[in-house]
Amino acid sequence: MSTQTKAIISWIVTFIVMLIITMPGLWVILSGFRPLQEILAKPAIWIPQRLTLDNFYAIFGIGETQIAIPVLAYFRNSIIIATTSTAIAIIVGISGGYAFARYRFKFKDTLFLGLMLSRTVPGIALSLPVFIVWARLGWIDTQFGLILVYVALNVPFTIWLIDGFFRQIPKELAEAAEVDGCTRWQAFWKIEFPLAKSGIASAGIFAFLTSWNEFALASNLTRSTNSKTLPVGLTDFIAQFTTDWAGMCAMAFIIIVPALILTFLVQKHLIAGLTFGGVKG
Amino acid sequence: MSVMTNIKRKLFSEQATPYVLLLPAVIMILIVVLFPLIFSLYTSFTGYKLTRPDTLFKLVGFRNYVRIFGDWDFWVAFFRTVGFLAVVINLEFLLGLGIALLINKITWGQRTMRTIMMFPMMFSPILVGFQFKFIFNDNVGILNNALQGLGITEAAIPWLVDGWLAMGAIAFAEIWMSTSIFAILLLAGLFAMPKDPLEAAQVDGCNAWQTFRHITLPFLMPFAYIAMTIRSLDVARAYDVVDTMTGGGPAGRTELLWTLIARTGYDSANMGMANAMAYVSIILSIAFTYYFFSKLVAARRYMGGAL
Amino acid sequence: MRLLSKLSTVLLAGATAVTMFAGASSAGEFDGYTLKVKLIGGAQYEPLYTRIPEWEAATGAKVEILSRKNHFELDREIKQDIASGSINWCVGSNHTSFAPQYGSLYIDLSVVLDEDVVGAISENVNNSSMVDGRLVQLARHSDVSNLYYIKSLYEDEQNKADFKAEYGYDLMPPETWDQVKDQAIFFADPPNFYGTQYVGKDEGISGRFYEMLVAEGGTFFGTDGKVAFNSPEGVRALEWFVDLYEAKAVPAGVPNYLWDETGLGFASGTVALNLDWGGWATFFNSADSKIQGDVGLIRAPKGSSGKRTGWSGSHSFSITEACDNKKAAASFVTFLTNFDSQLLEGRTGLLPTRPDAIAAVIEESRAAGNDWLVEVFETYGASMAEDAFAVPSTPLWIPISNELFPELQAAIVGEKTPQQALDDAAAAANQLIEDEG
Repeated sequence: MSTQTKAIISWIVTFIVMLIITMPGLWVILSGFRPLQEILAKPAIWIPQRLTLDNFYAIFGIGETQIAIPVLAYFRNSIIIATTSTAIAIIVGISGGYAFARYRFKFKDTLFLGLMLSRTVPGIALSLPVFIVWARLGWIDTQFGLILVYVALNVPFTIWLIDGFFRQIPKELAEAAEVDGCTRWQAFWKIEFPLAKSGIASAGIFAFLTSWNEFALASNLTRSTNSKTLPVGLTDFIAQFTTDWAGMCAMAFIIIVPALILTFLVQKHLIAGLTFGGVKG
Repeated sequence: MSVMTNIKRKLFSEQATPYVLLLPAVIMILIVVLFPLIFSLYTSFTGYKLTRPDTLFKLVGFRNYVRIFGDWDFWVAFFRTVGFLAVVINLEFLLGLGIALLINKITWGQRTMRTIMMFPMMFSPILVGFQFKFIFNDNVGILNNALQGLGITEAAIPWLVDGWLAMGAIAFAEIWMSTSIFAILLLAGLFAMPKDPLEAAQVDGCNAWQTFRHITLPFLMPFAYIAMTIRSLDVARAYDVVDTMTGGGPAGRTELLWTLIARTGYDSANMGMANAMAYVSIILSIAFTYYFFSKLVAARRYMGGAL
Repeated sequence: MRLLSKLSTVLLAGATAVTMFAGASSAGEFDGYTLKVKLIGGAQYEPLYTRIPEWEAATGAKVEILSRKNHFELDREIKQDIASGSINWCVGSNHTSFAPQYGSLYIDLSVVLDEDVVGAISENVNNSSMVDGRLVQLARHSDVSNLYYIKSLYEDEQNKADFKAEYGYDLMPPETWDQVKDQAIFFADPPNFYGTQYVGKDEGISGRFYEMLVAEGGTFFGTDGKVAFNSPEGVRALEWFVDLYEAKAVPAGVPNYLWDETGLGFASGTVALNLDWGGWATFFNSADSKIQGDVGLIRAPKGSSGKRTGWSGSHSFSITEACDNKKAAASFVTFLTNFDSQLLEGRTGLLPTRPDAIAAVIEESRAAGNDWLVEVFETYGASMAEDAFAVPSTPLWIPISNELFPELQAAIVGEKTPQQALDDAAAAANQLIEDEG
């Protein structure tokens, strides 16, 4: 076999595998554009007979539909909460990761392990105590309350990735800059930070996806359009006796698209970032 | 004045810097994780009922824990959870490895392919739950419809009812949702791999399998352990999936620790008991994470890096 | 605080004087007040809320909807509010099955509501709205179930002859649950067609079991305060579910079914008999359904004791003890359950709790030539007045249900015998009762 046929074959195999992977998800997205009876028909209707935007009209309350889902408010909340918490997690992560990578200090290993283990506590065990504390502080149903939780959720992992990344950058670079008269801060900002960009970007995308999709805690800590996020909004389609699956699929489309675009844009950094970030101590 | 400069000097002294840098992270974790945990540890020794605030002070000693240790259903759920995690994480690793190797081979359109590979990561766990609940529905679900349509089976397979099938369906959903994380990290590992040892192996006459087994795989293992650590950190995410698909049923056949805890704590409002269960389950997550983490540290040493 | 309330009394008096003078309704009664409410959300419930602006205009108050969630989410949220002591709202959506859990959260409505407001609602429903002798809920609509069937199956001559030959009696829409079992097994042709189906998890199966138990002549609680469902009546009730499952007369997935699956399954034309609430009636006979024009409806069948099943709950409104303006809250819930409100809900197929609203919906449907809706409301109206009964009024209903339903499922899928399953459930339930007492 020539190299070229090999390449073509492996491309085709990959393509088929990818198709299988995406199939269940694509079915959901396609369902968002189909009427409910057609999705749940028996025997199944494989080739869509009617594509429609009705489900989206229903969500946005266009035309003669019942009650609209306040999807714009959810979208706004999701964007604000996910981006803010990601940004803070990154800053806290850079600060902490830099400490672990560049300094020797007492209790370093204990602190590191402790931070990591904090992430192993299942959300369900945290949800009630967090709720009670938040209620006392008046943070229930606020964007701030959720942002704080997400930062804490993401910080261990961002610290870890970014720590690995700073280790990767030779200490000598910053030291040389300091010899040339830079302060430690300038050396960090001008030399080390730009080199760590890819790692920071990949930590960022993981943090963003976690916050964007998180449901269990958000469903406990949000109440209304003040703070409800898109995944929590999905449950608006469940009533006591019925689930509007078509509407849910349309909503899913709205949730997925921004995340997908963002991921595509940071693709390059993601691979580069992960390559050196976590492993090479 | 002098106090201020004193504090300032202390804050910016070389010894204090790392602690100052870590302070925000530590404060966050204290507020969001540690304080609540202390509270729930306390409640696990009470007969705390969610709907009756006065029961918060009704201490029952170790009763909740004693009940748990004598509760057959709890231990079934416990070991089912352990088994589920072991199977799921290993399968995710193998599948992720396969996908990473495939994508690593292709040259044309790789960026698009990588985005497609990450497609399931865009799905919120609750959405994944609903998606597979509808796919695996025995009557109108597309899977049974497809099988019947293709003439593979006459019967309506009760995917979410039969014990093994239901666990399989849940595992499938979980694997679908999380394999991407393995794939992306292992792909990163493949990209980072130096070319020289591979070429040397070919010169020495190793076949493809030998090269993979003795050179590629050892190099990838740290990446695999990272992925496993991340996954075991994050594994309680599966709660949303299981809760939506089967809610732990039928007859407790798919009961995992998280569904059991949530039902005890919220639906039955028996929060004291639920928190005791949660504490037992936290020990489980810590054990899993610690295991992978120590593996990772060992693998890093093996790679020659100094932790 | 006292000054404030005095001031508001003066204002109120002033306002009343003004309205009396103007001869209009009580415009401005609660001017400037913001009523905080937590309502159940979802497509079937929300059309009613389009009337809220009318109430706002009439009273001058503003309504702030703090949350709008499905009932399971709302239940969790309310429990959290109780736990954290943050009851800063006045009116909450409630449901018969959930109400007993909330303790002293809600007030006795008979104190703040006019007698004729309460009296307009079906007495049977009001009885179910009581917890510990207090009327904690004002019902907006009710969800008693009746039996839908596919008419053509019963008109088919071949079916009639075959059935008579096999079972020795005429094929007619069933009058008893034993007949339902016979007919379901007769019609079943898995995996393409099923005789019937039932909700098989969570409170759904507990409630179904409970109503079968009652229809068999059993009781859920014994006189000693412990559970008594592991009686011969209980075993008979549970056997009905088990037998149908074993005979494959119900879809194999039923242990994972809730009301969604049963409703959509029946509408897909693959099920002969379906016990369901009135909310589906319009859908079953619409163009979206495969059985449009072929749907029959009868009262829920009887058990061996001669009693019909009639497990029902009502969706309702409650007012919190912590409410700072119970008058406004009372005016609000009165408005949302008045004749016009119930008529609005009734038109969408929901079952009004006011007999006069039911009569009006029937009248309207008849005038419009909608015989189906007439039939639906006549049937449901009768069963609400005569058959309906709620779950036992105890805060332990939901916790006991959580112990009971996995055992019921275990029996249904054949892991345990009905007796053993019920004994195990009873032991766990009695443990809960002991802890509580």
